[in-house]
Amino acid sequence: MIIDIHTHIWAGRYESDKQELMKAAELYDIYRIYVSALKSYYPDEAEISELNFEVAKFIKEQPDIIGGFCYINPSNKDALDVLKKGIEEQDMEGMKLWVAAYCDDPKVFPLVEKCIGYNIPILIHAFHKAVGQLDNESIGSHVTNLARRYPEAKLLMAHLGGNAYNGIKSIRSCPNVWVDISGSIFRRDDVDYTKKLIGTDRIVFGTDMPGSYFTNFGQIEDADLTSEEKQLVYSGNTLKILDRKGRIL
Amino acid sequence: MSTVDVNCLVGHWPFRKLYKNTFEEVQKIHKANGITSGYVSSLDSIFYNDPFEGDEDLHEIIKGSNYHHVLTINPMLPEFVQDVKDGIKKFGIKGVRIYPGYHGYSLANSKLKELCHVLADYNIPLFLTIRMEDERSDYLVRPNKVHMDEVGSFIGRVPDNKIILLTAFSNELISIKEAINNHRYVRFDTSGLKGPLFAVEKMLEVFPPEKMVYGSLYPLYSFSCTYLTLKHAQIDENIKQEILSCLFLTFT
Repeated sequence: MIIDIHTHIWAGRYESDKQELMKAAELYDIYRIYVSALKSYYPDEAEISELNFEVAKFIKEQPDIIGGFCYINPSNKDALDVLKKGIEEQDMEGMKLWVAAYCDDPKVFPLVEKCIGYNIPILIHAFHKAVGQLDNESIGSHVTNLARRYPEAKLLMAHLGGNAYNGIKSIRSCPNVWVDISGSIFRRDDVDYTKKLIGTDRIVFGTDMPGSYFTNFGQIEDADLTSEEKQLVYSGNTLKILDRKGRIL
Repeated sequence: MSTVDVNCLVGHWPFRKLYKNTFEEVQKIHKANGITSGYVSSLDSIFYNDPFEGDEDLHEIIKGSNYHHVLTINPMLPEFVQDVKDGIKKFGIKGVRIYPGYHGYSLANSKLKELCHVLADYNIPLFLTIRMEDERSDYLVRPNKVHMDEVGSFIGRVPDNKIILLTAFSNELISIKEAINNHRYVRFDTSGLKGPLFAVEKMLEVFPPEKMVYGSLYPLYSFSCTYLTLKHAQIDENIKQEILSCLFLTFT
């Protein structure tokens, strides 16, 4: 069973992205897809509202396949209300942070505390880059800071932290940080390296669709993983972090 | 029919440990996926002062197999033409691979023109490396960017050379589609088609299928990423087979 924890709808492309995600689900036998909607790096309140509305709409249209992450700009005054609405009214199952603020910025703390209360995961874009690092774009060390401040929070560091050698090394001592393999970097050894440092219990399958799919699926297929370990990555670990009954502390 | 990976390598990569970097590992994953042969070059040669020494090692590794030796050439080094001739004579090379990003020269450099003349004379394809790593994950060394407008101009200047563009992204290839489509002997490999979803299908809306050849950049990149992208593409099976069979080396 395959669950994709990390996909998107991009603003202005609701219909085409939706169609591609559904087509991929059918062609590639993906059991469930988790979506967040994105547009600009520093979205205002109206933009966030529109983006989350689209995800909620997609969930309503395809409840058996589509789940949602509520996208938050921690700098917006209504951030806590947006999170509350996303989880309590729009059937979303986690919070998504992108590049509007470092994930260990104090503005994020009340949101994290709310997520701990809901017992939902926080999907954090983290991407160490040799070129093109954005202002306020988190890397592994920011995730580590947040994880140590809130050991009861379920944090999901996206993209193996961009460069896995930076990201995985940063979070390896934080048992409340899972990592997803989404994104367009598909080096042969990143998954094996990740397994070596943190084991397979904290690796989660994600893609970044509509950006890519086999880029990520292929990495798992090529890695030195047993069939049991692959199942953990493809869905077992994901079910665990989405389970709101099971607390990690 | 044979199925070929035009972009595979053996050796060491100085910036990270490669777990599957031997010729045996390359053959193993190819065999497991029905790939019968490959055009293989030496990772070591990219960084050696004398790349030919890396190719001597590669020759010893692959000789007797049905894999084709692709010689690494840095045209900024002395007597590179002699290296090409020696590669033909000693190793039976089936291609020459260049790394302008790592070796730091422009595609307008006269030495590259000289190399292309030699390759055209011997009917040896030029494997032009656009990148090795995603630039975002570079470490210690930041190779020069190989600009696609320069690639487009370059291939326009060498109409008689067989050229395979390696590891260019979809959008980069599309940005010079006229130059690629107008050049009878230019091909590109699949190793840069990291996205978007249905990348092969979308590229075939822009390029005729004979322009695309299968290349993985294994073991730097995960083999199955590009292989499965092609295998699961919603395209005619005959076209898929054509892309995998590397007919480009037999074009005349």
